[in-house]
Amino acid sequence: MAALLEVANLHAAYGPTRVLHGISFGLEEGSITALLGANGAGKTTTLRALCGMVKTQGEVRFSGARIDGKATEDIVRLGIAHVPDGRGTFVNLSTEENLRLGAYVRKDKSGLNDDFERIYGYFPRLKERRHQQAGTLSGGEQQMLAVSRALMLRPRLLLLDEPSFGLAPLIVREIFEIMRGINQREKVSILLVEQNAAMALDLADRAYLIETGNVVLSGTSAEIKQNEAVRRSYLGY
Amino acid sequence: METFLHQVIAGLATGGIYASVALALVMIYQATHLVNFAQGEIAMFATYIAWTLIQTGMPYWAAFFLTVLIAFVMGVLIERIIVRPVEQAPVLSVVVVFIGLLVIFNSMAGWIYTYTIKTFPSPFPKEPPFGSRLVSSHELGAICVTLAVLALLYAFFRFTPLGLAMRAAAQNPESSRLVGIRVGWMLALGWGLASAIGAIAGMMVAPVVFLDPNMMAGILLYAFAAALVGGIDSPGGAVLGGFIVGVLENVLGAYVIGNELKLSVALVLIIGVLVVRPSGLFGKVHVTRV
Amino acid sequence: MNQTLTGTQRAIGIAVLILAACAVPFLFSNYTTFQCTLVLVYAIALLGLNILTGYNGQISLGHGAFYAIGAYVTAILMDKYGVPYWATIPAAGAVCLLVGFLFGLPALRLEGLYLALATFALGVSLPQLLKYKHLEHWTGGVQGIVIVKPDPPFGLPLNPDQWLYYFTLAVMLVMFLLGWNLLRGRVGRALVAIRDHPIAAEAMGVNNAMYKSLAFGVSAMYTGVAGALGAIAIQFVAPDSFTIFLSLTFLIGIVIGGLASIPGAIFGAIFTQFVPNIADQLSKAAPWAIYGIFLIGFMYVMPVGVAGAIRILWAKLTRPKSSTPQRSGNQPLGQKPTVEGGPHVS
Repeated sequence: MAALLEVANLHAAYGPTRVLHGISFGLEEGSITALLGANGAGKTTTLRALCGMVKTQGEVRFSGARIDGKATEDIVRLGIAHVPDGRGTFVNLSTEENLRLGAYVRKDKSGLNDDFERIYGYFPRLKERRHQQAGTLSGGEQQMLAVSRALMLRPRLLLLDEPSFGLAPLIVREIFEIMRGINQREKVSILLVEQNAAMALDLADRAYLIETGNVVLSGTSAEIKQNEAVRRSYLGY
Repeated sequence: METFLHQVIAGLATGGIYASVALALVMIYQATHLVNFAQGEIAMFATYIAWTLIQTGMPYWAAFFLTVLIAFVMGVLIERIIVRPVEQAPVLSVVVVFIGLLVIFNSMAGWIYTYTIKTFPSPFPKEPPFGSRLVSSHELGAICVTLAVLALLYAFFRFTPLGLAMRAAAQNPESSRLVGIRVGWMLALGWGLASAIGAIAGMMVAPVVFLDPNMMAGILLYAFAAALVGGIDSPGGAVLGGFIVGVLENVLGAYVIGNELKLSVALVLIIGVLVVRPSGLFGKVHVTRV
Repeated sequence: MNQTLTGTQRAIGIAVLILAACAVPFLFSNYTTFQCTLVLVYAIALLGLNILTGYNGQISLGHGAFYAIGAYVTAILMDKYGVPYWATIPAAGAVCLLVGFLFGLPALRLEGLYLALATFALGVSLPQLLKYKHLEHWTGGVQGIVIVKPDPPFGLPLNPDQWLYYFTLAVMLVMFLLGWNLLRGRVGRALVAIRDHPIAAEAMGVNNAMYKSLAFGVSAMYTGVAGALGAIAIQFVAPDSFTIFLSLTFLIGIVIGGLASIPGAIFGAIFTQFVPNIADQLSKAAPWAIYGIFLIGFMYVMPVGVAGAIRILWAKLTRPKSSTPQRSGNQPLGQKPTVEGGPHVS
C-alpha cells in the first residue's frame, strides 16, 4: 500500500513557542492511523500543521506532492477534510446548511442529494434535525454533524481531532463504529488524534505516541497495546 | 389626517433608504465587527459617477446598472487594498483608516465636481400615481426599488451556495477555511455588495435632496441609528430599524421638534440605544469573558 | 538604554523653543502671526484630544463640540455680559470640564467603536443643534456672534494681533505645563494602563470609571479653552464653523502629530494649520484629500506620528556604539502605539 501521507521532520510553533520538534510519521492509504498522547503533547498542533493553519518547517507530502506551506483552502481542495477539535460547527446555520458547506469545493454537485441520503443513512438523527439550528444540537449530534460535513467533501483523507471529547462512551463507540464502516466501504483514510488511547487503539490499525512534540513510539495497534509503558501510562492497566 | 398619512408614507420612503444603508453597514459589521464610517461617502461618490454617465447621454437605467457594477468593484478593491492590512489592527487604527476613506471620497467629489448642488434625475414620472395626494411617484418608486433590492439580497444569501459561503465566512472564518471557503474574498464580496447597495440608496435619494458632496452625511447618521435600533448584527433588524427611523424622523420633525432639529433625533436614538440597550431590538447580547 | 536628554538639556531645549516662539510676532507679518496664534490654539485642542484618545484610548470623533462650547461661552460672556476676554478663558474651561465629565459618564458604557460612533453622531449633528431656534437669543442663530478684538493692556507697544499671540502663548504654556505634570505622574500611568489593559488595571486597584470620566472632563476642558482662545482670535463664532470636519481635523492632528505625545500636539497643529495654506491653491477640496491620504498612510507607515518618528530617529542617532538591539518604537499595525517607558515628554 502506498503512503498517502508522509510527514518528515515537521516543526511547528505558535509565535515564539515551539510545539513540534521535528516529528515524522506516515499514513498508508486506506488505513486508520492514530496519534496518541497526553494533553499538550502536540497532537492537535500536528493536524493543524497538516492543514496549513500553523507556521511550519519540514516536509509534508500528500500522494507524493508537497503540501506544506499551502493555504488551508487549497489543501481542502486536494481532498483532505479536517474535523477540528471543538467540532467547528456553524452554530447559527441549520444542520443541512452545515452539510451543504461541506461540499462547497466539490465540482460535481450532481451527486449531492445522494450524499445527503448516504450521510443520513449513517446518522439518522441528523436527518431528523436537518432544519434545526446546528448550535442547538447535542454534543454527540454535533460531532456526528462535524464528521458528516467532512464526509460531504468525499475526502481521500479525513483528519479527526479528539472526536471523543466531551461525549459519553456509548456515543463515542457508536461514532467509531460508523467510522470503521466508512473507512472500509468508502476507502477513506483516517488520521485520528485522541486522548482516549484505549478507544483509539480499538479503531486504528497503526498508532504513533507523541510526547512534547516528538514521536516516541510507533507500531501497529496490537504492538502499542502490549507495550508496558503505554499500558501503564495511557491504558491504565 | 391626510398630512399625517403623507408624513408616514414619506417616512417609509426615506426609511427604505436608511434601511438599505443600514443593511450595508450591518453586512460589513457581521463579517468584521467594524462599522464602515465611509459607507455614506462611497455611496455619494457612486451617485456622482451615475450623474456623469447620465450627463454623457446614457439612458437612466443603463447608467443605474453600470453604476451599481462600478460601485461593487470599488467596494471589492477598497477591501482588498486598503482595509485588509488593518483588519486585525486595534480599533483606533481602523477607525482612522475609515475616516481617511470618508475624507478622501468626500474631497474627491468636491474636487472633481465642485460643491455646487446638482440635480439628479428620477426615473419615475413626475405625476403622482393614480393622482394620489398621499405619495409621489418617486417615493413609491423608491420604496419599491428598496424592497426589490432587499428581496434579492435575501434570496441570494438564503438560497445560493455563494450566499451561504458568505454567511459562513462572516460567522466562523476558521471553520469556513476548513471547508475550503476563501474567507478573504468573501469579505471583499461583502464590501462590494455593501457599496452597491449604498450606490442604489444614493441614486434613490439624490433626486429629493439634490446631489452635493455632503449629501449622505445625515443619511449615514440615520442609517447608524437604524442599524443600532434594529441590532447591529441583525440584517432583518437593520431593515426594520430603517423604516422605523424614517417614519419617526418625519413624524417628529413635522409635529414635535420642527424640521431644523431632525438630525438630533438620530443623535438621541444612537446614544439612547447604546446606553440603554446596545443590542437593539434583534441583535445578540454580547457577554464578554473577563 | 539609548541616550535621552538629561533634565537640564531638555529644559534648555524648551527654553530655546519658547524664545523662538516669542520672536515670531517681530519676524513675521500680522497675518502670519495670526496664523501662528491659531497653531497655538489648535495645539491646546489637540493636547486635549490626545489626553482622551491617545493616552486613555477613548476615541472621540466629536471633540469639535467642546471646542464650540468654549467658543460660545466666550462669545456670549463678552457680547452679552461685557466680561473681559481674559476672564472668559477659565469660565470656558470650567464649563467644558463639567460638560465633558458629564458626557464621560454615559460614555463609560461605550467601548471603542461604539464611542466613536456616538461621538461621530454628536459631531455631525452639532451645527443643527447650534442653530436651534429656541437658543437663538443666546447663540445668535445662523449669523452667530461677533467679538471685538481686545487691545493690549497697560498701553504696551504691540498691535492687537501681536498681543493676542503672546496671550495665547502664555495660556498654552501654562496648559502644557499642567498637562505634562499630570501625564507623567500617577494619573498618566493610570490612563495608559486603562487604555492598554483595562481589566488588569481595575484588578490592580485603578478606579477605571473615575479616571475615564476625568479624562473626558480634562480633555474637554483643554479643547474648550482652545475654543475660547480661537473665538477671540477669529473674532467670530457661528454654527457652520463647527461641522464634523472640525472634529475630524482634530483627529487628523493627533494622528499625524503622534498619539500619546505632548510635542505631537504641536506638530499636529502645525500640520493642520499649514497644509490648507499650500493645498488651497489647488482646490478647495485638496487639503482634505491630502488629510485623508496622510491619515491612511500614517496608519500603515508611521503609526506613532511625527513625534514618535523623531523620537526613533533621535534614538538611532544617539545610540552608544556597544548597545543591545533597541526595542522599536515604530509599532507595526498589529499593535497599539505605546508610549516608550511611560507617558513622559520625549
